[in-house]
Amino acid sequence: MKKIFKLITFSFLFLILINNSVLADNKISKVDSISKNLRCLICQGQSVYDSQSEFAISVKDLIKKKIEEGNSDNDIYEYLKNKYGDWIMYEPKLDKKTLLLWILPLILFVFGGLLIFKKAFINYNKNV
Amino acid sequence: MINQLGNYSLVFCVLFSIFIITQSIRAIISKNSKFDGIFYNLVFLQLFLVVFSFFCLVVNFIVSDFSNVTVYNNSHTSKPLFYKISGVWGNHEGSLLLWLLVLILFLFLFILNSKKSENSYKLLTILFQEVIIFGFLLFIIFTSNPFEYVFPTPIEGLGLNPILQDPALAIHPPILYLGYVGTSLVFSSSLAATVNKSINSDWAKHIKKWIFASWIFLTLGIMLGSIWAYYELGWGGFWFWDPVENVSLMPWLCLTALLHSVLVLEKRNSLKNWTIILSIATFALSMSGTFLVRSGILNSIHTFANDPSRGLFILIFLFILILLAIIIYFSYEIKNTNPSNNFFWLSKETAVLINNWFMMYFLSVVLVGTLYPIFLEVISNEKISVGAPFYHKLMVPFLIPFFIFMSIGPRLKWIKDKFTKINYYQILILILSLVISYLIVEYSGVKYLFSTILISTSIFLFYSSASDLVKKNVQFPQKISHFAFSLLIISILVNGIYSKEINSNMKVGDNLTFMNKKIEFKSINFEKQDNYNLLRGNFEITEEGKIPINFQPEIRIYDQPVISTSEADIKTNLLNDNFIVFSLLKEGEVFNVRYQQKPFMIWIWISLIMLAFGGSLALIKK
Repeated sequence: MKKIFKLITFSFLFLILINNSVLADNKISKVDSISKNLRCLICQGQSVYDSQSEFAISVKDLIKKKIEEGNSDNDIYEYLKNKYGDWIMYEPKLDKKTLLLWILPLILFVFGGLLIFKKAFINYNKNV
Repeated sequence: MINQLGNYSLVFCVLFSIFIITQSIRAIISKNSKFDGIFYNLVFLQLFLVVFSFFCLVVNFIVSDFSNVTVYNNSHTSKPLFYKISGVWGNHEGSLLLWLLVLILFLFLFILNSKKSENSYKLLTILFQEVIIFGFLLFIIFTSNPFEYVFPTPIEGLGLNPILQDPALAIHPPILYLGYVGTSLVFSSSLAATVNKSINSDWAKHIKKWIFASWIFLTLGIMLGSIWAYYELGWGGFWFWDPVENVSLMPWLCLTALLHSVLVLEKRNSLKNWTIILSIATFALSMSGTFLVRSGILNSIHTFANDPSRGLFILIFLFILILLAIIIYFSYEIKNTNPSNNFFWLSKETAVLINNWFMMYFLSVVLVGTLYPIFLEVISNEKISVGAPFYHKLMVPFLIPFFIFMSIGPRLKWIKDKFTKINYYQILILILSLVISYLIVEYSGVKYLFSTILISTSIFLFYSSASDLVKKNVQFPQKISHFAFSLLIISILVNGIYSKEINSNMKVGDNLTFMNKKIEFKSINFEKQDNYNLLRGNFEITEEGKIPINFQPEIRIYDQPVISTSEADIKTNLLNDNFIVFSLLKEGEVFNVRYQQKPFMIWIWISLIMLAFGGSLALIKK
């Protein structure tokens, strides 16, 4: 009974996913994928992609133009960063001023792991 | 008149607060173990006063008394009654009054519910909680009094921000506050137990209920906010890593860690110090959340207040509370741990610690991501944005080990388990899920090894938690919650990977082909409603061999204040949400139309409700 239940749900899920994935063949346009990573500077908490403000529309047009001129994604990000500042990028680039931002959580992760290791292995063996 | 009554009742509240604080200190010092009805009565009266004050504000909103500044700023005569009432907490002053109300209500419920606890512990909890209440009272009266006057009395109010006029958002703040404020009681009680040196299984059993209650409300509160964001903001997402969302996620992560570690304390009388640290941290996060939102530091759609003096007050208050907590913690810290509390590495204790480890990691990512830009701007005057890509990069890879641990952890025994318990059947499922996910990913064209592994581990988790459902030795609430969580994870992943959308500018009569569907913009109607004008679009979506479906998204143009909002039309079924929204463009006749197909959307909400339901089962269980 248990196994049958598992099998049914398993295959059910599988079918759903396959069904969905067969339908999935549209490619996101490059303008969309780039503009999703940009902040709309005059909006509150919206990406350029999500916004219909004049600013967002002009940035989207600019991205389109830049792609047609043969620029790569990185060229476009660099160009926009120089023009509007780092504020426009949703993903902060790893450099001197954002080093802590990126590595602080990772340091904490390692530290936490060591604490657990100490508690579960070393303390236990000491007391046994 | 009503205004004055409300105000005086708040001032009386302060007197009560001072009285309760001094009385409880006296009772603690004199070690008079007689816990007579006095605190019960005092807190009841205090609760009555603040409820009365809140009631006055509600009445002010209902009768639209614009001589009150809060009503003037946030209400309008043409607003429906429901939103007049929800407008009470749709603003800074009113929402703080609600916060205060819940603080006192919880203290009252605590006194009611802890008749069996030790007197000294109870007195200490009352003292700490009352200090928090006192701080909030001063904060409200001096920086954000909801009962201030406008003179001369204006004829009409300024109105409530239309995007806040929504049923989900009307109940979102009270629910979320119940969760936030619940952590204050956990905080007071932890400090009290520390001072009283009564951190043990009994205490864990007693405080567990409060932890679960806060966690349930926080879960539901976050869910309501995210449902609202999904259909009201019109972008089709449900989580934007917006700072104000992060601020509610942080106490949730901390509380989730806490409710696992408190179980270890209850069952094994171990992890005492860690549980106390988590209790303090959870409350500190709730408080700093209020600080960040209320100070207007965050650049966010939710921030209604922009007054630095308020932020400064909360910051100082928060600082004092945390300092107090740290001093108490270190002066009463339990130094010698009992060796009998040790555990083997393969045990439930380690599994809970691993849960805590990951929760703390996710918490640190959100915390650093939210605060770092603020500090950077203060220090170097440079503005950076930290958005979704940052959080995804640092969190998603860690989900893989997290899922694997979560699949195995709940099956382990306390103290020490044996290897043979990890059976071959599980490993077989792991391999099977790897194969299946590889096929899925292969077919879908998302040809990344990474998503393969991610999906397989989540399927693995889903299967372990689903098979735990029929196991006898797993606790019932835990079964439900863990299963719900794995369902949530799968839904979010599938939704994230397989969502499809098209975004295009259309005129009436235009056609659009998207995948195998035809989207037709048929017509547009104008309608007049009570407090807004409405543009209703008629869209028809035809799919080969299926009946055409009509969609009627709306654009609402509110009068007071003049703001237009887009209301999405969402057709939900068990597999997919079909979501259509349109918005005004500058050139009158053309509209921006956005159609999205979002698989498994409904399961995200279902699993969140199930998650909270699992929690409430733990709450009612003896």
